[in-house]
Amino acid sequence: MSEPTDSTGTSCDGFAAMAAELALGVLTGRERAAALAHLDGCESCRELVRELTMTGEELLALLPSREPPAGFETRVLERIGLSAASRAQPGPRRRADRPADGGAHGPAAGRPPGRPRTRMRSVLSAAAVVVALVVAGLGGWGLRTATAPPTSSSVGYPSSALSRAALVTTAHQTVGMVFVYNHTPWWMYMSVNLGDVGDVTVKCQLENAHGQFTTIGSFRLSEGYGTWGSPYAIGDGIVGARLLSANNTVLATATFS
Amino acid sequence: MSTVGTPADRLPDETLLAGLGAGDADLSVAFVRRFQAVVFGVAVTVLHDRNLAEDVAQQAFERAWRHAQMFDGRQGTVRGWLTRITHNLAIDTLRVRTSAPVDPGDLAELLTEVADSTERVAVARDSAAGLRSALRRLPKEQARAVTMAGIYGMTAREIGDAEGVPVGTAKTRIRYGLQKLRAALLPEDADDE
Repeated sequence: MSEPTDSTGTSCDGFAAMAAELALGVLTGRERAAALAHLDGCESCRELVRELTMTGEELLALLPSREPPAGFETRVLERIGLSAASRAQPGPRRRADRPADGGAHGPAAGRPPGRPRTRMRSVLSAAAVVVALVVAGLGGWGLRTATAPPTSSSVGYPSSALSRAALVTTAHQTVGMVFVYNHTPWWMYMSVNLGDVGDVTVKCQLENAHGQFTTIGSFRLSEGYGTWGSPYAIGDGIVGARLLSANNTVLATATFS
Repeated sequence: MSTVGTPADRLPDETLLAGLGAGDADLSVAFVRRFQAVVFGVAVTVLHDRNLAEDVAQQAFERAWRHAQMFDGRQGTVRGWLTRITHNLAIDTLRVRTSAPVDPGDLAELLTEVADSTERVAVARDSAAGLRSALRRLPKEQARAVTMAGIYGMTAREIGDAEGVPVGTAKTRIRYGLQKLRAALLPEDADDE
């Protein structure tokens, strides 16, 4: 261990006696404060707690699955603003409106349909999010941020890994949404609603930072609507996507900010 | 739903979570269907009350939706992340609801269930199988202490009261028990104390 004691007088040996309880989230009061203070300056003890925390999570993973009561799925979807009625709507309009982090619980019923949401803002507000996560009880995530102050990369990672962008036509009409997971395994997913175009085959391309387009695959729309997902092997750094018709006419484009 | 190409229910967990966070209906449905038994299982195991467990499970999905963008695949799996959210919510609910220690019968039953290898090991991850095995090998008092702390969120003092031992003894049991389970997940370090 790197230091005999920290500013609170806690040695690594002393910390080791508390590490398991800290990792399981059952350390209370002054012991918890002392433990966290020690972790701030002791990398090896942070690693110990990380391993013990993972062990605790593996223990939770052993808990048996149980089927919830009938209707559970519907109630969950209603809770996040995806009622059965909204799910019956086509394509890109079928999205839940979520309140900004820190707002009241439950879906933001007052948000106008189609209004750009501000998910990124909460990511950028690192300190507020860390506090929110601790309050939200996100366990190891809260511990991680408490024991290692977030860096710009760690805070920025999730938003950069999970990118989304609207598919927009040249007439500035939003006709879908593209999701790209910029981390191995690389995956993309899109939902498209082109309206009254019937059953047609469309092609999806991703654009890299050099402006090169790579065709990922094609899929068929049913009455203008379809969803499609695929792995891709062109690495990270995806900056855009586009949807083409079978004769390579660009139908819509998306730009990841 | 008119899904063509790769069906949403075959997409990776991370993609479903991204879709849930973005409010995509198809991916949200697939996400809930994929994880609802896991989430409800955690909640009902901790709470022993199906009504409370359903409320907690719903809250867990809502939090996943609200905080999907904070998931970091380098830190663990979607399932682990969601399980942790659910567990924390269940523990918070348990603490508000009762100060009574876990029923000894429930604890014994749970220990048997999570350590049982007969049904699930064949399809389980190696780490899960190793952990089950290590759990079975633990001295019973250590297995009980780790389970009470790790699953029911009981403090060392509460465990000491429930087991009729000094708090220092409860702390020691938690510490050594969890260390042995950790060793089981780190084969190069595996050595029974």
